[in-house]
Amino acid sequence: MVARGQKRKLHREDEGRGSARESQLQSVLDISMDKFLRDQALVEPCLLRSVLINNTLRQVQSEVRAQVESLSAVKIPMKLKPEPDFTQLSPPAEHNASLSSPNAENTEDDFMVWTSEEDFSLSSAISAILKDLDAVIDAGQGPCASQRAPLRSVENLTPCPPRTERTSAVASSAKTELMCPGRPQDAALDKLLLDIDPSVFEPELNLLQGFSVTADDLVKYLPSLSKSPSASSSSSLVSNGQAMWEIQEIEHVMDILMRTYPQS
Amino acid sequence: MMAGAGGGNDFQWCFSQVKGAVDEDVAEADIISTVEFNYSGELLATGDKGGRVVIFQREQESKNRLLSRGEYNVYSTFQSHEPEFDYLKSLEIEEKINKIRWLPQQNAAHFLLSANDKTIKLWKISERDKRADGYNLKDEDGRLRDPFRITTLRVPVLMPMDLMVEASPRRIFANAHTYHINSISVNSDYETYLSADDLRINLWHLEITDRSFNIVDIKPANMEELTEVITAAECHPHQCNVFVYSSSKGTIRLCDMRAAALCDRHSKFFEEPEDPSSRSFFSEIISSISDVKFSHSGRYMMTRDYLSVKVWDLNMENRPVETYQVHEYLRSKLCSLYENDCIFDKFECCWNGSDSAIMTGSYNNFFRMFDRNTRRDITLEASRENSKPRAILKPRKVCTGGKRKKDEISVDSLDFNKKILHTAWHPKENVIAVAATNNLYIFQDKMN
Repeated sequence: MVARGQKRKLHREDEGRGSARESQLQSVLDISMDKFLRDQALVEPCLLRSVLINNTLRQVQSEVRAQVESLSAVKIPMKLKPEPDFTQLSPPAEHNASLSSPNAENTEDDFMVWTSEEDFSLSSAISAILKDLDAVIDAGQGPCASQRAPLRSVENLTPCPPRTERTSAVASSAKTELMCPGRPQDAALDKLLLDIDPSVFEPELNLLQGFSVTADDLVKYLPSLSKSPSASSSSSLVSNGQAMWEIQEIEHVMDILMRTYPQS
Repeated sequence: MMAGAGGGNDFQWCFSQVKGAVDEDVAEADIISTVEFNYSGELLATGDKGGRVVIFQREQESKNRLLSRGEYNVYSTFQSHEPEFDYLKSLEIEEKINKIRWLPQQNAAHFLLSANDKTIKLWKISERDKRADGYNLKDEDGRLRDPFRITTLRVPVLMPMDLMVEASPRRIFANAHTYHINSISVNSDYETYLSADDLRINLWHLEITDRSFNIVDIKPANMEELTEVITAAECHPHQCNVFVYSSSKGTIRLCDMRAAALCDRHSKFFEEPEDPSSRSFFSEIISSISDVKFSHSGRYMMTRDYLSVKVWDLNMENRPVETYQVHEYLRSKLCSLYENDCIFDKFECCWNGSDSAIMTGSYNNFFRMFDRNTRRDITLEASRENSKPRAILKPRKVCTGGKRKKDEISVDSLDFNKKILHTAWHPKENVIAVAATNNLYIFQDKMN
C-alpha cells in the first residue's frame, strides 16, 4: 500500500509537468490562431506557411481532444453521490431554475462530481446553442465573419486569474463588456461566436477549410485549457485543465444568446 | 577544404570584398534574394527583391597581385522582372527574384534563367566591344541617306569601342504556375529545365515558351485535404531523367521521368524516422526542407531543414548518411521563433566544388561550414567590422548557457533580423559568396 502522502506528491509532479505542457499548448494555440487570422486577412497568403500553421493547429486540436478524453475517463469513476438532474439544461431558459451555485459550500468530492457532470451537460447544451447560432450567423453575415477573433473571446469568459500575460488584458476587458447589460449585444455576441469556415468565401488558395474550429471542438478543448479561481485555492479539486464556469456567467451568456436569437 | 585554427593543411578564410550599401536603413528592394556562380565561376549573379539582377565578373588575375585572386566587379545590371498585377485574382505579383540558374556556356554569350513567383525568363548577356563604321545606307549620325544620292559603295569597318554588356530577354516562360515558384533547375541535357511551385512541377524546353509539361502535381481534389507542399526541386547533375523534390514534411522524392509522363509516383522516397523523444508542436515545421542540392558527383544530395543539414546517399532512403547541426541552441527557443516567424525562414545550402565541404547560413550574419572528411565545423560572420582586405575571419562561437567566455555570443544576443539565407561556393576554388540582407560578401582562402 502506498501512503497517502506519497500519492499526493506524485500527483503534484504530474500537475507540474502537465501545466508546463498546457501552457505551451496554450501559447501555440494563441500564436497559431493569431497567424491564421492574420493570413486570412491577406489577399494571397503563402501556401507553405498556411499549411504549416494549419497542421500545427490540427496537432493542438488533437492534443486537446486527447486531454479531454483522458479527463473524461478519469472523471466518471469518481462519481460518489447521485448528481442533480441536468436534463433540464436542454431548454436553456430553464437553466437558472435548475442549478444552484457551485460555490464552495459543497464538499470536495461532491463538488468534483457535480462540476464534472455539470461540465458535460453544460458543454453539450452550449455547444448545441452555439452550433445553431453559427448556422444563423454564417448564413447572415458575409466576409466580415473572418474579422472576428472568436477563440480569444471565448477564453475571456473564463473567470480570472488569466492563464497567460497575453490573454489577461483581453480577458478582463471582455469580461467587463459581457457583464454590462447596457453594451451592444452584437459586440458581445460577435465575440462569443465561432468563425466556422471563412474559407468558403475564398475558393482557390484558402485551404484552411480543413481546419474549421467547430463549436463542438471549442467547447471540448475549453475544459482542458482554462482554470478557475477556485482551483487555485484547492488544488486537488481541479485536475489538469478542467473548466469551471461560474453559473452566473453562464446564465448571463445564455441570456444574451437567447435575447439575440430567440428562435434557436 | 575547410578553415581551421591554423597550421598543417588547414587554410583560413579571408575577407575579399563586400558589395552593397553601407547604410543602416536597408531599402527593401535591395535585399538580395538569390546568389549563384556560373559553371566556370567567372561570373557571379545576384537577384534582389526589386527584381534586379546584378552580375559580377572576376577580373583576370594579374601578375602584380599574387597574394589574392581576381576581384569581382560589376559586369552587368538589369531589371529582370517588374511588379505585375493579376487582374483576374486581384493580386499583385512580386518582382522579387526567387532563383537564378546559369546555363552552361556554349558560345561567347552567357545565358541565365531568372524566376520570380510566376514567370521565368531566359536572359542573354553578351558583350559588344566593336561597332561597324561606314554604312552605305545611313550616315554617321544614323540618319538614312537618300539612296539616289549614293554614288559609291564601301565596306563597313569594325572599329573598337568601349565594352558594352547587354542583357536581353530571349524567352519568357509565363502562365504555367498558379502557385509561387520556389525552384528552377537546368537539366543536364542543356535543353530542358524544370520549374517547381508549391504544388506542381513543370518541365520546359528552353526553346518553347508557350507550353510546358506538368510532371508532378500534388494538388488534392479538395484543397481542405492539403497538408503537404513542395518546397524545392532539382535535376540530377548527370542523369537527365532523374530529379528530386522536397516537401514541407521533411521528405524527398526522387522521380524518374522514364517511368511515366506524370511523376506523381516516386521512384525513391527519402525520409528519416522521427525521434519520438524530441517530438514537439514544432516538429513538423522544423522538419520542412527549405533547400535540396545534389552533390557535383551526383551520388549524394543535401537537404536543409530549420536546424540541420543532412547528406543523403541516393542509394539509401531510410536515413541520411550525415547530419550536421547548424544551430541546435535554437531548439529550446522554437516557440519564440514561431511567434516571430523566424521558424519559417528558408535557408539554402551549397556544396564546394569537390563535395568535401558544405555551407549554410544562420542568424546574426553567421554562416557555417562543415568538412565532411574531418567532421570539423566552423562558424564565421559576415560583417563590416571584419572587412579589411585579406583580413582573416575569426571563428565565432555561440554560448548556450552557463558562463559566457570572451568572444562568445549568447543565444539571447543573436540578431534574428540578420539572417544569411543565400550562399554560393565557387565551382572550382575556395571562393564563397554570402548574401547578408543587402550586402554581398566575398571571401576566399588565404593563399599561402
